[in-house]
Amino acid sequence: MKKINANFRSEFPFFMALPAVAWQFFFCYVPVVCLILLSFLRSGNTAFDTQAVTLENYTYFFSPLFALVIGRSLLLAFCTAFFCLLFAYPVSYCLAIKIRRFKNIFLFFLILPFWTSFMVQAYAWFFVLEHNGLINTILLNLGVISAPLHLLNTTLSIYIVMVYCYLPFMIMPLYTALEKIDRRFFEAAADLGATQWQTFTKLTIPLSMPGIKTGFFLVFVPAFGEFVIPTLLGGGKKLFVGSLISQYFFVARNPNIGSAFTVITCIVLLMAVGLLYWFFNRKTVLTLTQED
Amino acid sequence: MKNIRLENIKKSFSGEVILENINLTIPGGKIFALLGPSGSGKTTILRLIAGFETADEGRIYLGDEDITDTPVNQRHVNTVFQNYALFPHLNVFENIAFSQRIKKVPEEIVQQKVNKVIKTVHLEKHINKSIGQLSGGQQQRVAIARAIINEPEVLLLDEPLAALDLKLRERMLLELIDLQSTLKTTFVYVTHDQFEALTVADTMAIMNPDGQIEQIGTPKEIYEFPASSFVAQFVGSSNIFNGTLRIKDDQQYLEIEGVGACQILAPKGKEWIYDGAQVFMSVRPEKIDISKELLPGFSNHVQGTVASIVYHGRSTQYNVRLSNNKIVQVFEQNEEHFPKEVIDYDDVVYLMWQKENVVILEK
Repeated sequence: MKKINANFRSEFPFFMALPAVAWQFFFCYVPVVCLILLSFLRSGNTAFDTQAVTLENYTYFFSPLFALVIGRSLLLAFCTAFFCLLFAYPVSYCLAIKIRRFKNIFLFFLILPFWTSFMVQAYAWFFVLEHNGLINTILLNLGVISAPLHLLNTTLSIYIVMVYCYLPFMIMPLYTALEKIDRRFFEAAADLGATQWQTFTKLTIPLSMPGIKTGFFLVFVPAFGEFVIPTLLGGGKKLFVGSLISQYFFVARNPNIGSAFTVITCIVLLMAVGLLYWFFNRKTVLTLTQED
Repeated sequence: MKNIRLENIKKSFSGEVILENINLTIPGGKIFALLGPSGSGKTTILRLIAGFETADEGRIYLGDEDITDTPVNQRHVNTVFQNYALFPHLNVFENIAFSQRIKKVPEEIVQQKVNKVIKTVHLEKHINKSIGQLSGGQQQRVAIARAIINEPEVLLLDEPLAALDLKLRERMLLELIDLQSTLKTTFVYVTHDQFEALTVADTMAIMNPDGQIEQIGTPKEIYEFPASSFVAQFVGSSNIFNGTLRIKDDQQYLEIEGVGACQILAPKGKEWIYDGAQVFMSVRPEKIDISKELLPGFSNHVQGTVASIVYHGRSTQYNVRLSNNKIVQVFEQNEEHFPKEVIDYDDVVYLMWQKENVVILEK
């Protein structure tokens, strides 16, 4: 028995990990290094050449225009994550703590959209938001509005669909974190005199913090670079980081400048994530556990 | 200290009746143990007193106050949970201080109270540790400290020592008894372990698997004078014989098939005691003497063959087969390293006991 365990520990994991590590290395780290190298080459150069090394690709971006695009994307990512958290928390809470029967069925229907492509989900929203779409039809028939609302191709529509599409990424870690909380903790808190609200702020939120953090990052990071939804539902009127990068690569066909911009956005994203990480680990936990 | 009174309590879970017609008075300022097998509803009674469950029918009183509809967080009752339910995100200090933080007690008073209560449970050294760093016994102490800091009128303990090893359990039991005599709080102690209940309780109630209370009394009363064959067999072990009661003049006998006539002392003034009545006789294994020779001075004896021997250390258990194939358990203290008489398998032995030491039970 002991021998088998020893063998298992020394040899098995190494071989098991190899394909994944190789995959990561060749298809993530190598391309990223290529991308960084590309960003230091003068436009039009794709092969490495010492003559073509330059920093000029980066100089383009010291302008308010690009700061605006990055800021807009940061705002979109933050708000998406924030509203996802706001909407997902009550759902996950009920599902994990309040509901006892048919819980897996409810969860299944909540996660179902997640199994369909983003593109399909985004297009489906066209029918909801367009001039003679679902929302306008309902509101018109109810007499709430007299003329159809202009919903499609607005920033609002981007936000709505972003929050909708990213919701499962928030629900899943939250649900998992909340489900793990021992029911007896709630009883113990009540036993010690806590009201439901006090139990929520002093127990439920701190104990679900790992889920909140995971969910927030799971939404925030991809939402920052999202380009399908802003492009489709914003009508391309406002540029976001993702759409700008895709424009450089696929429309302007200038991978050098595109790479430089990508590198800059990655740095911004890392800084933003670092800031959020600091925030979650210091401020929120402290204020929520010490105060009501 | 206030009594707890349960009146006509009924409780069912999804149609299945767990408790019915429960009438129980728990004396104040003492340790009361609720002993029963799993599924007997003892934990449900505890949860009803705590307020985690609501009774379908009946009232619960704490002293003269009807607390049936008082929400959990307003009852002057605190609970030590089976697996402690300590909050993993708070350290020892904050766990203990939880109820004080809820009440928004000023910081210095919280400090004072926690420091006082932590001394009571001997955890001074561990005050800043996280819950995960503590051993089972230490977690148990935190759970107790957290529950008593509020100075509750009643402390409910739900199988509090179930997760501890035997030695630690014995020590914690004595500490709990000490704690209770210091605090003078009413303790309600739920357990399925008869050893714990007998050790800790001033008064105890025995519940049967149907959710009924079979007997209430002091540990000694329960052990020596069980009120039913269930109690006799659940608390300690007991040899139960079926027999027919014979009352001739002022002599009382029990006719037992395969054993013969046994002298007994039947309880007086019971309507089920009459000549010819079918009754149970309960004899505790340690109340029976075993020997290869018939010793004088016993009111009853029977012959049998040793079927098996179980060595327990402080005592030896002999399982003796009677002529009717019934197995009788006998405990003998191992008083000597080299006993004068060695009893072995298949030996023919006499079992002897006094009529004062048997209990006659209604069938």
